[in-house]
Amino acid sequence: MERPPLTAVGPLGWLRQNLFNSWLNASLTLLLALVLYGLGRGIIPWIFGEANWRVVSSNLGLLSWGRYPVEQAWRLGLALGVIVVLSVISWRASRLPAGARLRRLSLTGWLISPLVVGVLLRGLKLPTAATVVNSLGYYLYRPELLPLLEQEWRAPFAVVMLGTLVGLTWSIYADRRRRILSGLAALALLGLLLPLGLQPEELLPGLAPPRMLKLLAFLAAALLAGRSLGRSLSGAEGLRRSMLPAWLLLPPLLVLLLTGFDVGVDSVAPSEVLLLVEPTVWGGVLLTLVLATVSILASFPIGVLLALGRRSELPVVKWICVAFIELVRGVPLITILFMAQVMLPFFLPLELTLDRVVRAMAGLTLFTAAYLAEIVRGGFQAIHREQYEAARALGLNELLVTGLIILPQALRTVIPPMMGQFVSIFKDTTLVTFAGLLDLLAVAQSVIKQREFLGLVREVYLVSAVFYFVISYTMSRASRQLEKRLGVEERAT
Amino acid sequence: MADTIIHCTNVHKWYGHFHALRGIDMDVARGEVIVIFGPSGSGKSTFIRTINRLEEHQRGTIVVDGIELTHDVRNISAVRSEIGMVFQSFNLFPHLTVSQNITLAPIWVRKWPKEKAEEIAQQLLVRVGIPEQSDKYPGHLSGGQQQRVAIARALAMQPKIMLFDEPTSALDPEMIKEVLDVMIGLAKSGMTMLVVTHEMGFARAVADRMYFFDEGLVIESGTPNEIFEQPREDRTKLFLSQILVH
Repeated sequence: MERPPLTAVGPLGWLRQNLFNSWLNASLTLLLALVLYGLGRGIIPWIFGEANWRVVSSNLGLLSWGRYPVEQAWRLGLALGVIVVLSVISWRASRLPAGARLRRLSLTGWLISPLVVGVLLRGLKLPTAATVVNSLGYYLYRPELLPLLEQEWRAPFAVVMLGTLVGLTWSIYADRRRRILSGLAALALLGLLLPLGLQPEELLPGLAPPRMLKLLAFLAAALLAGRSLGRSLSGAEGLRRSMLPAWLLLPPLLVLLLTGFDVGVDSVAPSEVLLLVEPTVWGGVLLTLVLATVSILASFPIGVLLALGRRSELPVVKWICVAFIELVRGVPLITILFMAQVMLPFFLPLELTLDRVVRAMAGLTLFTAAYLAEIVRGGFQAIHREQYEAARALGLNELLVTGLIILPQALRTVIPPMMGQFVSIFKDTTLVTFAGLLDLLAVAQSVIKQREFLGLVREVYLVSAVFYFVISYTMSRASRQLEKRLGVEERAT
Repeated sequence: MADTIIHCTNVHKWYGHFHALRGIDMDVARGEVIVIFGPSGSGKSTFIRTINRLEEHQRGTIVVDGIELTHDVRNISAVRSEIGMVFQSFNLFPHLTVSQNITLAPIWVRKWPKEKAEEIAQQLLVRVGIPEQSDKYPGHLSGGQQQRVAIARALAMQPKIMLFDEPTSALDPEMIKEVLDVMIGLAKSGMTMLVVTHEMGFARAVADRMYFFDEGLVIESGTPNEIFEQPREDRTKLFLSQILVH
C-alpha cells in the first residue's frame, strides 16, 4: 500500500492546510504568532514572578463568600458537595436508558436540591408543636372570646372532650373507618399532651406534677363514657352524620381551652436547627452564583409562560404579557435593579419584608424572563403549521398540542440563544453592586483598597475575570452538549 | 344510503373573498373508499380538511358519524379522534421516536396504559411493513417509511374514517408503491377512506366511487368504471387525458 505524501497528512499536513494554505493566510499566521509572543512575553513572567498573589490568598474567604460567618462555612462546602454528587449521579444516569431507576433518582434529587441547598445556605428555624398551637390560637381567635372557664380546669376539660369523641366514634363506626379514626385520635392526643407537658408550669397552674397522670385518668374516664354513650344511641343516623363536624370542631376548641391564647410566650419561640445566616451577609463568589442560579431557574418558567401568554387568544392575557415584556425590555437592567429595591415593597403586603438580596433576585429574574419570552416566541415561530394540524387531527386538545408537540420543539430550537441569555445574565449580576450588594466584583474592589495590598489591582481583577470566564465557558459547553443530546440538528423538521 | 357515516350538504368555504368550496354535496357509506381528484386549487384538499375541521366551513352542514360539526369544541375533538388523517408532507413529530409518535394520542387522548399502546404500535408497524424501526427518529427514515409511520400513527387511534391528503405526492417514485400497498390493504380490510390522489391505478384497484373536483365544485362523480370509460363532462375528459399520458 502506498502511503500518502507526508505533506498531506499528519501535523505537517494540518499546518499546511489550515495555517499556510495561501500567501494571505501564511502572513496572517505569522502576524498572529508575533502578537501572541508579544503578549505572552509580558504576561507570563508577571504571573509567575512579579505578581503578589498574597492579595488573593489572604482574602480567599472574603472573595468566596463575603461576610458569611467562617465557622459556618462548612455548610457552603456541604451544599457544593450535594451539587457535585448530584452531577455525578446524573452523568452516570445519562448513559442509561430512559425510565431507569437511577434516572428517576437523579431527577428527584435535582428537584429537591434547591430546598436542601437553600436550607444549608440560609439556615433553618423549625417551629415546635407549642409554637404551632400558639400561632393557631393567635390567628384564629381573639383573646376577648375567652370562655369563663377557670384556668385550672381547661386542660382536663379538653382531654375529656377529646376522649368522649374518640369513644363515641369507636362505638359508632366499625372496620376500617374505626381504625383510621382511632389512629387520628391517637395522633391528636399525642399532639395535645406533648406540648401540654412542655408548657411552662405557670401556664397551667391547676396541673401540678404529675399532671400527665391526672390527665390520663380523665382521658380513660372520657373514653369509657363516650363508648357507652355511643352504644346506647347506636343506630341514630343523625349522630353518625354529626361525627365529622364534631371532629373538625375539636382542634380549634382544644386550642381555645388549652392555650388561653397566651401568645408570644418566650419559651415557645421557634428553635434554630441551623444558625440563620441572612442573605444580606452573603457575598463574593457565593452571592454571584446564588443570584445567577436563582434568576436563571426562576426566569425559565416565567419566560415560557409569558411567551405562551403572548400567543394567547384571550386579549387581556395577551396584552398584559405584551405590556410586561415590552416594558421590561425597554428599560436598562440597572434601572430595574434600582426599581426592584425601591418599588417592590410597595406591591407586597406589609408583613412580608424582603431583604435586598431577594429583591435583586426578583429584578434579575423579571428582566431575564422578559428576554426569554421573546426568545421562546422565536422558537414558536419556527414550528411549521403542519405540526399543529397533525397534532389536532389526532384529537389532541390545545393544551396537549402545546405541551407535547409545540413547546418541546420550540424550546429545543432556541437552546443556543437561551443559553446566550443565561450567560449574559450571569455576567450582568455584577450590576447588583449598585444596589449595595457585595458580589464578587464588589468584594474585589474593596479588597484592593486594603492598606497592605494597595495597588495590587491586576492580580485581583485577573482572578475575577478567570472566574467569570470559566463559568461562562462551561455554560456554553453545556449548551452544546444539550443540543447534541436532544439531536437538534439531526431531528429537525 | 343505508349506513351513511359522512353526510355533507351544500358545503361552502371562503378564504377572504376567494370562494374555495362552492356547494359540495357528498354522502359516504361505512366501508366505502372514495377517491377525489382534480387540478390543483380545485378545493379537494380543502374539502377533506373540513371533514375533521382543520378548516371551518362557513355554510352548509357536515355530519360525521351522527355528530354535526359546529363551533362546539367538544364535538370537534370527539370527531377528530374518530378520524385518522395522513398528510402530503407526513408531518411526523420530529422530536419523538417512531414508537412515541404512534403511542402519543392513544396514551393522552384515549388514556390507554403505555404498555397496551406500545403493543398496538408494534402490531401496526408490522402491518405497514417496518417493524424494526420503532426506536428511530423520523429524520432517520426514508420518505416512504415516514409516510407509513404516519399511517400507523393515524390507525393507532382505531379511527372509523381515514382521510388521505395527497399521501404520495411528496414521495420519490420508487417509494410510492410501498405506501399505496399499505393503503390498498387498508381499503380491503373495510376501512372507510377518503383519498385525495392522482394515483389512478390505486383508484381503479380499490375505489368504490370517484369525485372530480374543479373550481370548488364537484364536476362529476361515479364508479371508477364510469369515470375512466365514459366520462360525461369535457373537463373530466381533458384532465384525465392530461394525467393518464404519463
